[in-house]
Amino acid sequence: MAGLAGFSREVAKRVFAEELKSSNYSFRDGQDQNQYAPSYLLTPTGAKCNRVFVVGTLTEKDDIGGDTEYWRGRVVDPTDSILIYAGQYQPEAAQILASMDAPSFVAVVGKPNLYQTDDGNIIISLRAESIQKVDEATRNQWIMDTAKRTLERLDEMKNVKPAALSNDFATADSVSSAPASTVAQDAERAVQHYHTDIDHFRQMVLRALSSLKADLSKAVSGPMAMPLDKNPAEMDEKSFVKGASDEATAPKKSKPKKSESLSAWPEAESGDDVETINIGKKS
Amino acid sequence: MKELVDQIQARLRDQKVTVEDVDIESRLKKLILDFRVSESEARRSVLNYFLKEHGIIPQARVSSEKVKVGEIKEAGRWVDLEVKVLDLWEPASAAISQTGLVGDSTGSMKFVKWVKSDLPNIELGKSYLLKRVVTDEFQGRYSVKLNRTSQIEPLDRDVEAKPAVSKAAQLTQVVEINEPGLWVDLRVKVSQLWEANSESISQSGLVGDETGTIKFVKWAKADLPELVEGKSYSLKNLVTDEFQGRFSVKLNRTSQIEPLDVDIEIGSVAAEFSGALVDVQKGSGLIKRCPVCKRSLAKGVCSDHGKVDGTYDLRIKAVLDNGHRVQDVLINRETTERLVDLTLDEAKQMAMEALDHEIVRSVIEGKLVGRYYSVTGPRVDRYILVESISELAPVLTSDVDGLLASAEVV
Repeated sequence: MAGLAGFSREVAKRVFAEELKSSNYSFRDGQDQNQYAPSYLLTPTGAKCNRVFVVGTLTEKDDIGGDTEYWRGRVVDPTDSILIYAGQYQPEAAQILASMDAPSFVAVVGKPNLYQTDDGNIIISLRAESIQKVDEATRNQWIMDTAKRTLERLDEMKNVKPAALSNDFATADSVSSAPASTVAQDAERAVQHYHTDIDHFRQMVLRALSSLKADLSKAVSGPMAMPLDKNPAEMDEKSFVKGASDEATAPKKSKPKKSESLSAWPEAESGDDVETINIGKKS
Repeated sequence: MKELVDQIQARLRDQKVTVEDVDIESRLKKLILDFRVSESEARRSVLNYFLKEHGIIPQARVSSEKVKVGEIKEAGRWVDLEVKVLDLWEPASAAISQTGLVGDSTGSMKFVKWVKSDLPNIELGKSYLLKRVVTDEFQGRYSVKLNRTSQIEPLDRDVEAKPAVSKAAQLTQVVEINEPGLWVDLRVKVSQLWEANSESISQSGLVGDETGTIKFVKWAKADLPELVEGKSYSLKNLVTDEFQGRFSVKLNRTSQIEPLDVDIEIGSVAAEFSGALVDVQKGSGLIKRCPVCKRSLAKGVCSDHGKVDGTYDLRIKAVLDNGHRVQDVLINRETTERLVDLTLDEAKQMAMEALDHEIVRSVIEGKLVGRYYSVTGPRVDRYILVESISELAPVLTSDVDGLLASAEVV
């Protein structure tokens, strides 16, 4: 879509972490499929993402770089979590991430990055273009926003006829050669690749909204009544005072070595994520 | 299942083949239930199986099915259509023998009949059964192609068809145009006429109403009367278009022009946009402007007036993004000062202390990026010149309930 004559900025798609994490299909698209063609991640509900916008809770952050700083953070939304990276090629984002306390609400604009581990697992992370601290109101707006966009995409998926899966070659041809695909084509392509279970993702949206609703009613009844286990986003600041002040007083005094930084991650829920250290280094 | 069996039986009867219903059904069930094959694919597979069984070699891609125009939602499908010819156009290529618009009660779509198809010509206003035509798609719009395997059968009865335009044009205000491919009626004054730069264009320029102005293009083929600068018209059945975020309207053969007695006042009503602020661009923050032409300076140099002593100003060039579309916005000094809570003098002070102008942009980024805003203001070029900007209202439980309710029924 972005021709040479007029550059048009890629839209930042709204996708929940769970959906991002279930994505494993990326491709280059454009007039000619050369190395400069923009690359996209197609998610199970048909969001064709060159860029995504995520707002959530930064729960962990670490410098996993060697000689140069390379920052990794984990951002949690009501559905799951996603890793974000910022290094020397994203100096502003890296600097902000470095100076940020975890937990805090953050808004991240980033490029999705797909990485395959040696054992075949596919891991999605975001290379951050910008990271900013935001408030809970923004996080709530993002959940609503993302829920709406996801429901719109699911709606589009229902119109996809499964017959398209196995029709003549003409279909596949016309889909893949189109330089700028339509929403309907993205949905069709997603169905072909993922055999998307629409209800699964509808349930994900419902869960996200229900948890937002619970958050809102808690906020009314008073923050002290918040349970600490539910969502790290809601945890009382005090429980983090120690860790936070440690970082604040000596953020760069001694750069943690790789092994240290890894062990410093409290509860990486799956080993997969930890394997991703090398992901974006090249990018 | 019964329906599928009947459809298959019908096709088998055409070929004078008799098969028991149960045989068809058990084969269908196996494919659909045990092997998760889609219904349409299963039907094709079963049909071909029995045809082959009886020594009939199925023609490649013969399994077209009768559909309505409105049901066509994918490319590469073989279909039969009962339609009326609503319009015939000049073929744009020597490979096309006829092209135009066909329709039925559910809608209308473009058709293309290839020269190689060797099919008889169809006539405007007549109704036909088009057999084994293949659907195609371009930029989200569907068409059918008549090729060598297709057949045309004239129908005695008249197929009831909607008029040539599938979506009825609506009287629209210029500011409301925010989507390409829509049919609209406008009441506008011609504010500018431009030199046409292509032979296929008879006139182009700007038209406007109380809410704003928009580019128009009148095709030579539209064969419409000339528009006069400064005169007001009712323009009917125009189609909207978009190029790099800017909208225009096209007058084609189906469009109409009627002069108006009243004089339409061209104004500008604020455009609106809500979304997340995803970027504060270079050239935001503390800048210097040329004292003569007010344009911003690049390293103290004005592109027209050379090296000048610039005057300081504060502004924001930002990008809002609603997940579907991006919108560039320009925020002037006054609004910037209020929004960021930073006066020009403070910004100068800040830059002085940091020995860097860019610090002001960083501060602005820190305050704005990642948050949701709603802006209004006139649209100029690809920008909205922001007159008012506010953060979106906090999400209420009732908002969530509303969305939950609609999500339940998806």
